[in-house]
Amino acid sequence: MATNTTTVSGPGNGADTTGPTGTVPGPPARQSGAGAWHRYASALRRPRGAAGAGLLALLILAAVLAPILFPNGYDDQSSGALAGPSAGHWLGTDELGRDILARTVFGLRTDISLLLTAVPLSAAIGTLMGLAGVITRWLGTGMQRLLDIILGFPGLILGMTIVLVVGTGWLALFLSILVVGLPMFGRQARAGLLVEQEREYVLAARVLGVRKRTVMVRHVLPNIVDPIVVNASVFMVVAIFIEAGLSIVGLGIEPPVPSLGAMLNTGARYVEVHPAYIIGPGLVLLLLALGFTLLSDALNKAVLKR
Amino acid sequence: MIRFLLRRVPSILLVIVATSVIAFLLPRLAPGDAAAAAAGPEATTEQIEAIRVEMGLDRPLVEQYVGWVGGLLTGDLGQSLQFNRPVSELIGDRIGSTLELTIAAMLILTVVGIGVGIFGGSARSRLSRLTSDATNTLLLATPPFLAGLLLIIVLGVAFPVLPISGEVAVLDDPMIGLQYLLLPAVALAVPMSAGVARLVQSSMHNVWQQDFVDLAVAKGVPRRRINIRHVVRNSLGPAVVALGMRFGDMLAGAVVIEMIFARNGIGQLAVTGVQNADYNLVQVIIVGAVLIAVLMQLMTEIALAGLDPRVRLGA
Amino acid sequence: MRLTGKSPALAAAAATRRTERDWSADAPLLQVRGLRTEFATDAGTVRAVNDVDLAVQSGTVLGVVGESGSGKSVTARSIMRMVHAPGRIVAGEILFDGRDLRRLTEEQMREVRGREIAMVFQDPQSALNPVMTVGDQIAEALIVHGADKRTARARALELLQQVGIPDAERRISEYPHQFSGGMRQRVVIAIALAGSPKLLIADEPTTALDVTIQAQILRLLARLKDELGVAVLMITHDMGVVAETCDDVVVMYGGRVVERGPAEALFAHQEHPYTADLLRAMPRIDEHGSGNGNGGGTSRDKVSRSQGLPAIPGTPPDPADLPPGCAFHPRCRLAEDQCRTDVPELLARTHSTNVDGGDRRGGRAAACWITQRGDAIPPLPRLIHAESAPAGNSSQPAASRVATTEVGAVEPGTVEPGAIQPHAGGAARPGSGSPMLAVEDLRVNVAADRRTLFGRPDPVYAVDGVSLSVAGGETLGLVGESGCGKSTLARTVVGINRPSSGTVRVGPGQVDATTAGGVQSLRSTVQYVFQDPYASLNPRRSVRQSLDEALEMRGVPRSQRAGEATELIRRVGLNENHLDRYPHAFSGGQRQRIGIARALAVQPRVLICDEPVSALDVSIQAQIINLLEQLRDDLGLGYLFIAHDLSVVRHLSDRVAVMYLGKIVETGPVDAVYSAPQHPYTVALMSSSPVPDTTARDRERIVLTGDLPSPKNPPSGCRFRTRCPIGPLAHPERQICVEQEPALSVTADGQRAACHFAGEMRPAHGS
Repeated sequence: MATNTTTVSGPGNGADTTGPTGTVPGPPARQSGAGAWHRYASALRRPRGAAGAGLLALLILAAVLAPILFPNGYDDQSSGALAGPSAGHWLGTDELGRDILARTVFGLRTDISLLLTAVPLSAAIGTLMGLAGVITRWLGTGMQRLLDIILGFPGLILGMTIVLVVGTGWLALFLSILVVGLPMFGRQARAGLLVEQEREYVLAARVLGVRKRTVMVRHVLPNIVDPIVVNASVFMVVAIFIEAGLSIVGLGIEPPVPSLGAMLNTGARYVEVHPAYIIGPGLVLLLLALGFTLLSDALNKAVLKR
Repeated sequence: MIRFLLRRVPSILLVIVATSVIAFLLPRLAPGDAAAAAAGPEATTEQIEAIRVEMGLDRPLVEQYVGWVGGLLTGDLGQSLQFNRPVSELIGDRIGSTLELTIAAMLILTVVGIGVGIFGGSARSRLSRLTSDATNTLLLATPPFLAGLLLIIVLGVAFPVLPISGEVAVLDDPMIGLQYLLLPAVALAVPMSAGVARLVQSSMHNVWQQDFVDLAVAKGVPRRRINIRHVVRNSLGPAVVALGMRFGDMLAGAVVIEMIFARNGIGQLAVTGVQNADYNLVQVIIVGAVLIAVLMQLMTEIALAGLDPRVRLGA
Repeated sequence: MRLTGKSPALAAAAATRRTERDWSADAPLLQVRGLRTEFATDAGTVRAVNDVDLAVQSGTVLGVVGESGSGKSVTARSIMRMVHAPGRIVAGEILFDGRDLRRLTEEQMREVRGREIAMVFQDPQSALNPVMTVGDQIAEALIVHGADKRTARARALELLQQVGIPDAERRISEYPHQFSGGMRQRVVIAIALAGSPKLLIADEPTTALDVTIQAQILRLLARLKDELGVAVLMITHDMGVVAETCDDVVVMYGGRVVERGPAEALFAHQEHPYTADLLRAMPRIDEHGSGNGNGGGTSRDKVSRSQGLPAIPGTPPDPADLPPGCAFHPRCRLAEDQCRTDVPELLARTHSTNVDGGDRRGGRAAACWITQRGDAIPPLPRLIHAESAPAGNSSQPAASRVATTEVGAVEPGTVEPGAIQPHAGGAARPGSGSPMLAVEDLRVNVAADRRTLFGRPDPVYAVDGVSLSVAGGETLGLVGESGCGKSTLARTVVGINRPSSGTVRVGPGQVDATTAGGVQSLRSTVQYVFQDPYASLNPRRSVRQSLDEALEMRGVPRSQRAGEATELIRRVGLNENHLDRYPHAFSGGQRQRIGIARALAVQPRVLICDEPVSALDVSIQAQIINLLEQLRDDLGLGYLFIAHDLSVVRHLSDRVAVMYLGKIVETGPVDAVYSAPQHPYTVALMSSSPVPDTTARDRERIVLTGDLPSPKNPPSGCRFRTRCPIGPLAHPERQICVEQEPALSVTADGQRAACHFAGEMRPAHGS
């Protein structure tokens, strides 16, 4: 799981395995030297990475440009309700006569803004919780127990609990994504910490008398960050599902602001009379999740080599 | 093994107790007055006060908690504020539907997840590997409700072959009941099975690299037999863990699926409870969900011990 | 067959059988001709095995010996047609019993595997399926070749008994994790024997095992070979194992066979410079080394210091980037122009085939332009300092800098001002100076977190009452098998683990290292050299960054660090061009040098070397050992040198301590301990160590039974009694061993041993 162990292996398993010596047959061991960015970039050269990143770039671009693409906004009710696809409204209109395509793109904007704020924050806080054991062992164990408790809650149940406290809306979605992610990142960070702390170069630094904080920053953290970043990309998909799941049962964002999940919620009611309603938001949601799935696959292979 | 399980007891108890505290505190944490929220917007001050006493909000916190937990343990789950009926009755009415759905979905998840995983892990031709990879990736990106909506459009609207709304208890009428159950269960299970399948597949891939597989080859064991006796056998552990971990997600997924397919299950009950601030009801559902999820994890560990002698006999 | 313990009758029977076979068919059992195996990689095609010829006669052992990357394992896998993708056999014949295995269908090949050719793998920890009982795994080897379940099960039991698993009826239904490493390897061997194969391919079968367990397994293999008449193809990197077990030898280098011949002939006289140099570069357990030899009253001046080992320069070549011509030429002191351009052919050497059976077994052959002309190979000289230079850097300014004089003092002026200065203890008589490191009655609980079910602490003392001291300029060798607690001891000394009791005192002032003030002197006095050169350097930091960190700890101002780093890197035989590279650019030996440089940066008085050469190829080991010797003598460093290899310890140490299950069982001057070991464990360790000399084959060997007990639950009284050849196992009346723990007390030969019957057991020299 750690990035830079001696992943040097010869041609298949057929190489001599008597002892690790410098000369190893096969491809040059691609170990991280200076270029952490290089490894991330190499993910984009994989077919899945390129497809995922391209897809995401397109979706994010659309979300950013939404006000320019649809100058009338998401709440323009000037047309007939529940109309089918037409030249004016490619995906038709909703129950209030609003353009579904425009609302989809604005909904995507809501989703992406949620993901790009809640997920990194969750990763950061979760990592810190996982690393709390560095300060005192007691604190570390306490944090792990806290994460265990959070993990006991199935995702959507946790979301409902949060809605009960803070009410429906953007904040509840944001907090739900944030809290659901904590155990994953926290456990990952702790597992990484336990492995990295025992690495010989970490021990060597300790034997030299390097201060604990310096050892952490120089030797331990850099090797914990990679798996966290990769996991964050995996968690994006989960976060999308949380937003949509809470919204679809009516606990999502407050109207009239669109989100992909909220549109599916209303769309599902008209599925028999107006099936095209859910196709737009459904497809965009799928593409968004697909983009992150592909990207995380490629990152897993390129950065974590697994 | 027993030692191992006993060691897990404290942390399981901790999770359950902590959950009950959180659930208990919910009405007290909510902004504003829980009693007022529960009484609804048109309630008079007297009515709110009456509800406050009924909810026990006027007593000291610890006393309230002990009373509430005592009630849970003795089967007194309290009174639903929105339906004015005992919570136990409400849950009793609906639990059958949710059980049907989750059991059916769990079966599908196990069969499809492990089956597809083994297929992908055993595939030797480039085409079948590619196909299984692509299907997997697509399913991984598909949330259950989207699968549900798609199924409704295709099999309910475009080619109406199966009912898409409502339910009939399987025990009352197996044939019709199963027809109603099929789409929701498939919608819930199939997208989730991709995660299980992928795990099985990658774990099989890892096992193929192990020295003991080489030893089996050197013994002259045919490839098929190596695959089944050595590789699949060693990959089932991760699969079981994955299934156990997903049970919680399945409960959550059931909430959404029940909404979409208009099934009268616990999920719908929970959602209306949250929407109407029916704290007494939601508290019980939360504690129940966590309890079930935690017990499932424990069962997973027992199953794992059955599969792996290193766990069973203490490595 | 040459291991002792054989019954003469069996040996005779085996000999007869062999003769009969030879009569019936003169062709070898296995004949490989022109084998070529390639791997398609991103960097192009890697030819791991190139034109390899070898032959195994029925009932004999052929050793294939080589360093990493020599292609020996790929050769073994090629014969089994088990090369992993992207590897592919591209040319050659593999004639087995008259059939070319390359021409068989996959199904026919499957029939050959297990039934006619079987394989034993290196790592018994991973070679068994963890979820199948060992009985089922053995039986499977029979079932897939047509046996029914009952027969297979009965035969599995028989096999378990045959490979020496005690209580086989019960253990047949146990899982691999319930077996120790040595026992697992026996199970693997049982699986291999299940189909009664004619040929057993053993790929480093003892490399992952401790020396006493290795002796058990080698003896087992030899016995089985004699009893069953099975031929063995033994892949190994250990010349000692070859000398002790093989009839014929093939030496591989850079994917090719460079020399072959009958073992006796090959060890007596080498036809390829690589073989010759490799043998010379190995320290010998029966030879004085560079230790000061001040034990037993001899002055260190009597034995000249720092003889050094003859070392082969450079590193084994990367198969992906083989040098043109003879692959060995960059490291060969005899290389000529022709060696650099033309690949020498493996040609028969007639002038040395007069040794027994040479002709029948394929005879001597070597691939060398020089010796082909009949030129002799002069012995590899000691202390050629250019040799410590890594490959690819022909000019090494550092070389002369680390040169030492005979007496070991550094000549003034060779070390730049401000650089590492020799400590006062350096020139002083080692051992007589005040100790720089003194450990007193140390106990270490490695299970501080362990609790029983009811919350009681459940301590495991990996180190249980150890005392030792190291003075400047002195080397204390610490030997013992894995699990004896030697690494835990070392890590506790430097503060990685916490001691439960006992003291660690450092420096001339003997400061208690466990106090707050003592930690500072500990850091500046004692440093650590790690075993795994791949894990001990942070892959994300350049060599300069690693050294800077250490220099910063010494308080060297930023402006002077560049100069100091240059000085350090030169001192360990690298140069300043290496400073800005990252660890992945270096070979194992080079990384170990960098690790040493980092430890030296704080100008310590004592280095703790935890198996610093055991992960390295044999030809690299000598370079690192020489470097350590030079540094010790130049700088007056004291070493606590931990190793499982007794030869290396003897070469380097002044004093030696033998550890068993958390305790020191024998300690004293190196010559005294090696020439007259007093503790039966020491005797057993020494007699189990393979010697790279075929004339030592017939020496009497003491092979211990059983495994190291767990430190969780050590035996009462003497901890060694459960395996002791002179303890209650052999003499039931010796209850004192069970009841009373022996103290470390002085013996007649001057060393101290912890045995109630010290000195009773003596090593038998020769036969």
